[in-house]
Amino acid sequence: MKLIALLKGKATPARTMLFAGTLFLLLSLARVLSDGGDLTSSQTMGTTLRVTCPILLAGLAGLWAERAGIVNIGIEGMMIFGTWFGGWGAWKYGPWVGLLLAIIAGSAGGLIHAFAVVQFNVNHVISGVAMNLFAFGAMRYMSELVYTAKIQGAGISQSPQQKWPIPRVNLPFLAGGDLFGWKTPDSLGWLERHKWFAISDLAGILRGIAFNVSLASLLVLTLVPISAWVLWRTRFGLRLRSSGEAPAAAESLGVKVTPLRYAAMAISGGFAGLGGGFLAIVSSSYYRQGQTANRGFIGLATNIAGNWRPVGVLASAALFGFAEALQLVGADSLPKLFLFLTFACGLGLLVSLLRRKMVPMINAVVAGGLFLWIYLAVNEVPEPLTKAAPYLMTLIVLTTASQRLRPPAFAGIPYRSGESH
Amino acid sequence: MRKSKRFAAIALVATFGLVAAACGDDKTATTTTAATGDTTGSTVAPNPDLKVGLAFDTGGRGDGTFNDSAARGADQATKELGATVDELEATTAEDRQPNLETLTTNGDGLVLSVGFAFGDGLAVVAKANPKTMYANVDGFYADAPENVTFLSFAAEQASYLVGAAAALKSTTGHIGFIGGQEIDLIKAFEAGYTAGAKYINPDIKVDVQYLGAAGDNAAWGSPDKAKEIALGWYADGADVIYTAAGGSGAGTIDAAVEAGKWAIGVDSDQYLTAASPDQQKHILTSAIKRVDNAVFLTIKAFKEGTLKGGFQMFDLSNDGVGYATSGGYLDDVKDKLEAIKADIISGKIVVPTKP
Repeated sequence: MKLIALLKGKATPARTMLFAGTLFLLLSLARVLSDGGDLTSSQTMGTTLRVTCPILLAGLAGLWAERAGIVNIGIEGMMIFGTWFGGWGAWKYGPWVGLLLAIIAGSAGGLIHAFAVVQFNVNHVISGVAMNLFAFGAMRYMSELVYTAKIQGAGISQSPQQKWPIPRVNLPFLAGGDLFGWKTPDSLGWLERHKWFAISDLAGILRGIAFNVSLASLLVLTLVPISAWVLWRTRFGLRLRSSGEAPAAAESLGVKVTPLRYAAMAISGGFAGLGGGFLAIVSSSYYRQGQTANRGFIGLATNIAGNWRPVGVLASAALFGFAEALQLVGADSLPKLFLFLTFACGLGLLVSLLRRKMVPMINAVVAGGLFLWIYLAVNEVPEPLTKAAPYLMTLIVLTTASQRLRPPAFAGIPYRSGESH
Repeated sequence: MRKSKRFAAIALVATFGLVAAACGDDKTATTTTAATGDTTGSTVAPNPDLKVGLAFDTGGRGDGTFNDSAARGADQATKELGATVDELEATTAEDRQPNLETLTTNGDGLVLSVGFAFGDGLAVVAKANPKTMYANVDGFYADAPENVTFLSFAAEQASYLVGAAAALKSTTGHIGFIGGQEIDLIKAFEAGYTAGAKYINPDIKVDVQYLGAAGDNAAWGSPDKAKEIALGWYADGADVIYTAAGGSGAGTIDAAVEAGKWAIGVDSDQYLTAASPDQQKHILTSAIKRVDNAVFLTIKAFKEGTLKGGFQMFDLSNDGVGYATSGGYLDDVKDKLEAIKADIISGKIVVPTKP
């Protein structure tokens, strides 16, 4: 009874946990029934993690900016700064310096955007678009200045390749890493190999984060709880969010909105720059023009789908990353995903039955039937559809979730310091 | 006060736009003269009458493969023929036709363009300027006028040889092919590679994936995606992966280094363009397309007045394509590969161009 009440009730952490757990069990069930070994393998999950990281960072960049009341369409441009300076720094001084330079370059971009929108009250979208255009041209110009002196492998549109990467590790006891020279057991790998229901799937997912993982990826993951803690548990975070919700009220209470917004944009730009640096240093080993491939905009979408919350951003970025990873390394198991989607629709049907809501019920039946038909009829998803899968998934999440989303009240609205007095 | 601030803001945004536009502008041609190039060989004084335009596709000098190869041919022409080469690089797809027009009006008698994607723009520009000669690497369109030469490469033949090399070197009987855009031009690479591998080992498993559909230009510049695909295949047991995807190929080499397996380069000898000895240890061979030879020979023919329009085929028989042996990893199988090469030239082996 309690369970039913929870399913029917409002969004609470307990309900979210219940849904996440049920969806995981359904995914596992789909994996067992369809023999889709790659759906939850550590290989797929490792790729998911690497694909997710830059998008997650772009999403967090959007989160930090919008929580302070600034719409940051310029994330893509700040990421471009990050790819270029990351690629250059990593080539010249090593990967860690590269990442640091990427953060600084992204922050500088963020401050330029803040200067325009806070100081001069420029329309946030226009300034952001200008930032994207400016970044593209400026970095190409930088390449022309730095890379045309006949450096091996370099050119106007790319940097030379870096000599060494950021170290990768296997976590001890979980994935067989070394601990003081002693090789620990690969316990997750052992569990994963047995193909047990749920247990092996969970092991596969965890091993994706534990096995052969770049230190940079782990660093990026820690930024989610850090963001959540700073924004929701510190005085600085509370003030920052208040300047995104009701800047006039905040100011009347003595909160200095303008410096806070500058700080938020420096952080937002830093996240975006790190995302770009990640692409140039971890995802590949050189800067290349166009490397960001519109991830800045996808990041913005994950910020919205994640309801302007760090964990939500992580979840929607991971969803996108998962779809992209399946497309890259597990194209064979993509049809099997449709079985899982059928189950997910079944869950939606159950919830809407409990709530006695007609429209979601019909939606769930129609979508579930469609997914089941695709699963039964299609052996191989056509290539163009697999390429579009991540975007399709983002679109579905955005359209289904948009009714219940709550953006910061003052994001993107022009505000002048002292306006209300 | 407020008004002036708003004005300042507009001015700021406008400046962004202007700077961005100025930076993105490539219409001013950079001129390489006889001074460039550090390869050995006799240098000839610049010949003022031999003005050649070279339009690179996206990537340009420094892409490590295709455009670089064309650049080498142009450098050689600068050195040995005294040619003055004006270079323009397409930043986006929309730049191609304007770049051709710019080079034409710049007074270049011969305008070379690198890449099949110039086709549509070339058709317009070549028709409008019958006195200028045009040559295009890789492209083809029907009913081209006489002032257009298409430089074609039998890439499938080179791919056949590296496919055979991959099969000979694979210990797991599992290899892979990553293509850029899924178009006929790249499918020929796949067809040759698979056929060559199957010639050696009929049971070999060849994984195939393309990075993008036709028209998706990001496919040539996504090393991150190529790397993930390659890592996945290596973990599945593949031990040689051949990538024909322009700048994305660097991702496969990264993956090969990480997984301790083999990668095969494309267009240029990527053993020579690799960033570090670490990478060189994992580049088995490269399917070479001698774009440099084609570019140089075309400029030479233009100088001598023997350049005719139509098709110009570069294949194994005239060293237009081949495979690289740098690193010496193929020393033990070289005789076998040379025998296959001879069979292809003599027509005993017919290499398919469609998978």
